[in-house]
Amino acid sequence: VNEPVPTVFVVDDEPGVARAIARMLRTAGWRVETFDSAEAFLDGHDSRDGCLVLDVNMPGLDGLQLQQRLHDIGDGLPIVFLTGHGDIPMSVKAMKAGAVDFLTKPIGADALIAAIKAALGEHAAAAQRKRDGALVRQRITQLSERERQILDAIAAGKLNKQIAYELGVVEQTVKYHRARLMRRLDAKSLAELMHLVALARNV
Amino acid sequence: MLRGIVRLSVFVVAMGVAASIAHAAESRSVLFVFSDNRLLPTNIEIDNAFREALLAERHEAVEIYTEFLDRARYGSAAYDDALLNLFRQKYSGDRTPTAIVAGGMYAVRFLLANRPAMFGDVPIVFAGMSVEEVRTLQPLPRNVIGVPVAFDYRGTIIDALRLHPQTRHLVLIVGANPVDRSELERLKPIADELSDRISVEILDSLSIGALQTRLRALGPQDLVFTQGFFSDGEGRQMIPREAAQVIAQASRAPVYGPFTTFLGTGIVGGRMPSWRTVGVDAAHLVSQIFDGVAPTAIEVPKTTASTLQIDWREARRFGITEEQLPPDATVLFKEPTFWEAYGRIAIIVVVVMLLQAMLIARLLHERRLQRQTAAALEESRQNLTLAAQTARLTTWIWETRLSGRDSGESSARANGDVAVTDFDAVIQTVHPADREMLARAVHQAVALARELDVEYRVVKDGAVTWLAARGRADEGEPTRLRGVALDITGRKSAELEVEQGRDALLRMARASLLGQLSASIAHQLNQPLAAILGNAEAARTILSRDNLDADELREICEDIISEDHRASAVIRRLGALFKRTDRLAVPLEMNELIVETLDLLRSDLMTRHVTITKALSPELPLVLGDRVQLQQVMMNLVMNACDAMSVVPAGERTLRIRTDAVEREIRVSVSDRGPGIAAENLERIFDPFWSTKPGGMGIGLAVCRSIAAAHGGSLTALNNEAGGATFRLALPTERAA
Repeated sequence: VNEPVPTVFVVDDEPGVARAIARMLRTAGWRVETFDSAEAFLDGHDSRDGCLVLDVNMPGLDGLQLQQRLHDIGDGLPIVFLTGHGDIPMSVKAMKAGAVDFLTKPIGADALIAAIKAALGEHAAAAQRKRDGALVRQRITQLSERERQILDAIAAGKLNKQIAYELGVVEQTVKYHRARLMRRLDAKSLAELMHLVALARNV
Repeated sequence: MLRGIVRLSVFVVAMGVAASIAHAAESRSVLFVFSDNRLLPTNIEIDNAFREALLAERHEAVEIYTEFLDRARYGSAAYDDALLNLFRQKYSGDRTPTAIVAGGMYAVRFLLANRPAMFGDVPIVFAGMSVEEVRTLQPLPRNVIGVPVAFDYRGTIIDALRLHPQTRHLVLIVGANPVDRSELERLKPIADELSDRISVEILDSLSIGALQTRLRALGPQDLVFTQGFFSDGEGRQMIPREAAQVIAQASRAPVYGPFTTFLGTGIVGGRMPSWRTVGVDAAHLVSQIFDGVAPTAIEVPKTTASTLQIDWREARRFGITEEQLPPDATVLFKEPTFWEAYGRIAIIVVVVMLLQAMLIARLLHERRLQRQTAAALEESRQNLTLAAQTARLTTWIWETRLSGRDSGESSARANGDVAVTDFDAVIQTVHPADREMLARAVHQAVALARELDVEYRVVKDGAVTWLAARGRADEGEPTRLRGVALDITGRKSAELEVEQGRDALLRMARASLLGQLSASIAHQLNQPLAAILGNAEAARTILSRDNLDADELREICEDIISEDHRASAVIRRLGALFKRTDRLAVPLEMNELIVETLDLLRSDLMTRHVTITKALSPELPLVLGDRVQLQQVMMNLVMNACDAMSVVPAGERTLRIRTDAVEREIRVSVSDRGPGIAAENLERIFDPFWSTKPGGMGIGLAVCRSIAAAHGGSLTALNNEAGGATFRLALPTERAA
């Protein structure tokens, strides 16, 4: 997989602030792009990889609206909000909509860098989960009808006896299919199997 | 005025008339024939008395004819014939009189001679004839009757003695003529009668000279009586009246005589018949003839009653008083009394005096009133003074002339109750902060003759007193101001308390506003801080490197400095909002204030997605005002507009701010595109503690309006035709204010 270099996008209507943040992040080693408005960001960025450091209060589209817009178009770019003044409703709304962090200005380099790192890491992890989920889903599609039925029942937390009773088979048959599907899904324990199911379902 | 009347001669003409008493019963008439001219006073008096008495006695219509024979002028036989013819013409037939009265000797003789030819046997009544005259006509026909006039010697003397009770000696005078001698016979019995009371002397046939000598020797205890005489002892002829005159002139004693003709010659008077009585007697006889009484049967008095007649001039000379006179006495020549002579003038004078008296009384009354008024005025003045003292009101007169001109004069001169004080001295006592204002107001009042109305502080012994002074230029002295000053320290402190209360409300409103602004403020401050921190962090990292990029560091430093400035500008503006200052009236550029306010609210407007359009008049005059307060008003209006537009889609949230200069005020209009204000609330929104906003305190607009009013302006709300509301702040321009 050819992954693009992570870039930190800084969106702030105050050029002085954008410039200062950009300097700080560049000295920390990131590639930084600045935009003076949400609209400019939507127009100008094509890279889907990286992190968005977003000001909340801006003329035109504000930070929260941009977050919504990105979500609408399926852009999962992690967002670290920066605001001159944040109140609780605003931050709750942002976090619910998937923001990685909600920080208030002025922000020290360490805190911002940590947040960005977390965001980038989370983004990477998310991408990994996405990829793992797709792999598991694909393996699940290769299971037999009986094996999928038994997987769903296991995921629902049922015991072998219950499953056998519901499917009208003997318990031994359930055990057989269970071992087989775990082998096929590359799951070594029940816990691992449950993790795979969660991955697959977390779309 | 009977002076000059000679002895009256009245002739009664009997006119023979066939028709007599029976005839007369139907239409009674009487003819009165006078001997002389009809205008003689004697005749007039007799005529009047006769008519009055006859008409009073007769209760019927009586025809009275009168004829005057004018004997003195025409007496002749031919004249008598002519009269005879005339009378026959006039008084024949129906007009034949029932009776005829003959006045005086001539008339009697004429009638007696011609009566049968003229009237037949009409009865004749004679009048005004003396006993002696009647005696010469004897024998008279039977139907000729009358009352003779008696000249009463004895009565005269008795009356005279009564008027002069001190009399001891009576002088009687008799002439030498035979007629005179006969008088002696008449006087003797009287002399005899009186001789036991007083001594009687008869001056018989003396010459005028001797008579005069004797009379001059008489005194107040003597009395003279004379009937006059026709000839003195030397044979000198005269008429009795002349004699009487001589006697009266010579005598030192009072002289009396029995004849009316003597009156006016100097005699005091005498007992004489009055002409009035003569007329009355004649009327009485005529009336009886009318009644049909036969003339012979009529009871005729012997003589006409006489009365005492007095020449008042002489009487007064001898000390006779009016009280001494008998009631029937006739007083002659009595000079009218003051009242009689000047009655009318006296009345006028009295009236004038009365009027004058009334006027004086009125004036006195007025003076009393005036005194009362003065007293009342004084009382009122004292009351006023008391009131003034109670009210801490003082009166003053200020001389504003440059003191250098009258350097010799003392600073305070008396002018009535109020001392004139040089304004220069007054200003020294005034609080330094108020001196310039007071001096300007006073000089304007003097220069423009305007009323002074000013409040200022006075410092005395470190205590500050507030005074309100009102005054105007003295009319006589245009450089002087006269007026009153009221101690308003109490009111001022109350005002200050109210103002402090107002200030507290203002601050509360401001605090509330600041609460609303906190997000915006925080944002505005945090932005530069964020930039500074970011730059500083970057710089520190750069500095830890081996290869320093000096250019970048310089850029960073410049950014930090500029951001720092930004931050301090924000803080300065915020500071102004928090600042607690005295109200200041400074010239303000309203456009600038609006731009600044919008700057302060920028992030908030951004958050609320409100777009601002400005139409600021480039030629806006300055206003006098308090910057902080006006900014508060603008902030409130903008925030309210934003609140109003929160219900409309973000793209339509347009706030329009407009400034205009209109006449002597400037107007700031803040128009939103919100839902507008319900008509019934257009005024209520300015009420304190009335709010449509949940959690709103409802003081914002109330405070805004009070600020506008304190600036001499107004704040009003109206709905736009195109939707939304407009708040209009009007403020007087600096010049107008």
